[in-house]
Amino acid sequence: MTAAAFLPWLVVAMLLVAAVQIGRRVRLWRGGKPATVDWFAGLKALPKRYLVDVHHVVDRDKSASRMHVPTAGGLVLACGLLGFGLVPAITASRLYWALVALAFLVMGAGVVLEARRRYPRALPRLSLGLWQRLPVHLGVFAAGGFLTALLAALGNPLPALSFVLFFPAAAAGLALAATTASGPMRHALAGATHLVAHPRPPRFEHQAAKGDTTGLRPLDLEADKLGAETPADFAWNRLLAFDACVQCGRCEAACPAFAAGQPLSPKHLIADLAAASGGGHARPYAGNPYPNERAIGGAAGMHAPIVSPDGIVHPDTLWSCTTCRACVEECPMMIEHVDAIVDLRRYQTLELGALPLKAEEPLANYRGCDEPSGRPLYERTDFAAGLSLPRIVERGEAEVLLWLGQAAYDLRGQRTLKALIQTLNAAGVDFAVLGGQERDCGDLARRLGDEATFQRLATANIEILSRYRFSRILTADPHALHVIRNEYPAFGGSYEVVHHTAFLAELVESGRLAPASLAGRTITYHDPCYLGRYNGEVEAPRALLDALGLERREMARSGKRSMCCGGGGGAPSADIPGDTRIPDIRMVQVKETGAKTVAVACPQCTAMLEGVTGERPEVKDVAELLWEAIEAGRRKPAGAAPTRELQPA
Amino acid sequence: MKTIVLLSDARNPVSGRAQLSRLEAQAIGLAADLDETPQGLHVGPGEEGVAAGLGHGLRGLDVVEAPEGEDPLPALAAFLKDALSGDAPPALVLCGRRGEGGLETGLVPYLLAEALGLPILADAVAMRPGEAPGTLVVDQAMAKGARRRITARLPAIVTVHPLSSPPQPFAFGRMRRGDIRRHAAAVCEVPVDVGAGERPHRARPKLMRTAGTASGGANLHVGPEPEEAARLILAYLEENGIRGYGRG
Repeated sequence: MTAAAFLPWLVVAMLLVAAVQIGRRVRLWRGGKPATVDWFAGLKALPKRYLVDVHHVVDRDKSASRMHVPTAGGLVLACGLLGFGLVPAITASRLYWALVALAFLVMGAGVVLEARRRYPRALPRLSLGLWQRLPVHLGVFAAGGFLTALLAALGNPLPALSFVLFFPAAAAGLALAATTASGPMRHALAGATHLVAHPRPPRFEHQAAKGDTTGLRPLDLEADKLGAETPADFAWNRLLAFDACVQCGRCEAACPAFAAGQPLSPKHLIADLAAASGGGHARPYAGNPYPNERAIGGAAGMHAPIVSPDGIVHPDTLWSCTTCRACVEECPMMIEHVDAIVDLRRYQTLELGALPLKAEEPLANYRGCDEPSGRPLYERTDFAAGLSLPRIVERGEAEVLLWLGQAAYDLRGQRTLKALIQTLNAAGVDFAVLGGQERDCGDLARRLGDEATFQRLATANIEILSRYRFSRILTADPHALHVIRNEYPAFGGSYEVVHHTAFLAELVESGRLAPASLAGRTITYHDPCYLGRYNGEVEAPRALLDALGLERREMARSGKRSMCCGGGGGAPSADIPGDTRIPDIRMVQVKETGAKTVAVACPQCTAMLEGVTGERPEVKDVAELLWEAIEAGRRKPAGAAPTRELQPA
Repeated sequence: MKTIVLLSDARNPVSGRAQLSRLEAQAIGLAADLDETPQGLHVGPGEEGVAAGLGHGLRGLDVVEAPEGEDPLPALAAFLKDALSGDAPPALVLCGRRGEGGLETGLVPYLLAEALGLPILADAVAMRPGEAPGTLVVDQAMAKGARRRITARLPAIVTVHPLSSPPQPFAFGRMRRGDIRRHAAAVCEVPVDVGAGERPHRARPKLMRTAGTASGGANLHVGPEPEEAARLILAYLEENGIRGYGRG
């Protein structure tokens, strides 16, 4: 009898311990609300979701993928091989033990790489505690397993040594298995199940439009309880998602609220939500605390309120989120943080009315006059007095319906809209606006959790839109674009919605516009979250800027991994204090490129970035730059030097 | 202390839609401190607008149905008289202090107090039960920020001042779950003139004569000579018909 012969039984024991431990979590998941899950399709898609989608995200941090592939691969391979070891005839083969030893060696190599990320000092975004001890457990298990199997492969020359090596491996292996309930190894089992039962399966279908996977789901306003108050109010596969978190902290590193010192860390929040269902006051969390953490009572339980000063999450944490989805984009475990935040907000707003006092004001305006600014709808087109701006009500149809949005009430937004309207007129586009019939799209209400107001506005807007004939809706507001394109279909209104950057790029490409070159200016482009991350549109604005001959410099965070300006999700209304302001951080990133102008494509981003004080690059909407180029083309023959007033101040 | 809040037919000043008056929402907040189940009372064609009171903290709402434009006073007086002589008479009736809808006068609390023979106290900013049973201590807002504390015998009618604490935030779920009781009212025979020559007020922006052309743009001249500048300005004014030579 050799020690190696016990290795298969060790794996069985580990599996049993893990099954008991994860079984405790399964019982908690079952306490969640029912969800429809296509198990067959999920299981079929699991290998692809894991090996392609998850790996793609993990691989953005090379040190993580180089560590994880051998560790997880070696562990699964070794345990799988040892499963065959239950057949006595196989354990007689030295070749078999050589293979097992090789698998453990691969795993050990991965563990060394993992340890280098954590020792002597862990990356700041990583969690410590049990997570910091994980490489120790894994390392002892891999080393003990490797040496035991190696001795067996060599014909077991030293039986006593092999037993001495086996026991630490067994202890480490069982300790690993014991962490499947609330420790690091939970991510493996919960993560795999989460990939199968993911609440947004279209995320993994790459041909599906990006927007399908990012729109919020409608809430049944007739339900007994609106939104999520306790862990039991989440669907079971959402509870499962919280357990899948691997605490890698990529979300935290990407979170604009965290960077600005507001009391939000997506990693901490998800860990809290996972801990909440378990109950008790203990929060075994060893990552960075919430910045400027607010005092909380810490009471938790399957049926205890999550968000409250007595609960486990402080309300300020909830209202700091800008819904920019940077955390979701970065998450290798495919967790949907924003959905959870909006569900929690819905309960706070709809059932308790417990939202920050300043955020109540736009919601009251929505209820009173359908517009968060409290301005009358018929004043929406006042800014365009003197411009040719046809109303669709006079004609009944138009090729393009221009959705003006909230920017029409804002002096800065009006400058962008004027440039857009003049450009459309110059290109001879057949367009019209709804004028006084256009209500707000309801984006702000929905992100602040006021689903009732959003649904009322969506229904009213769809009814108005159904009266007219048009082929496309054009808007300069990515928030309106996202809501109308991706969230109105659930209420019966499906439209082709195009952002002004894409539309103008089309016009320039087809030669309907002849902008002069603005060469000689350096520019950087700030991607709006709701255009880039939510809708995957990052090419068109860049193509347009390039067509203007501008020297485009990219910020370190751009495209789908761009950083939020701080203007989304009602965060400016909630106005949770932090150490600094999110737009200030973004403006520093703009300055690092050395560009004299930052091009934007969203009225929120314009407002936030223009709010940065001190000497800073000029903030110009893409439409304004294009109109400038068109005007320059009219004044001078092609090829002439740009006029003096076009140069940045 | 059983409290009834009177809800008027307020209109949103921007959209003209029926809504709950902010002042009455504040009254609901004051009532909620005195009564665990404050009730609302409205006389009008429906609960549109005033139902929001349930979302601000009312536990129940009585709507006495009356045609649009009808004087609500007889129906209010009849309902409250019934309630005052009933099993659980209200101790306190709270109201706003001004009209916020088309035909409202702001006089209803006073006329109602007269009709019911109840004392009326105006402009409350805070209230608490008095030490003697059946009394109420009211902080009244006076001019220039002064306050006056008055102890009133109940039942009484109290109007609420805008400087009282802000209303409880609105919660859709509470509104949805609130209890609305509809009552039919005897139709009042006094005709009320509603066609009093209303027209929408609309401040329009000034239209510039330069329709169709952008400002700045082609007419930008950098550093011209003074004579040349004057000539250009005059030419521009004439071109746009703002100043004409020889054309009167």
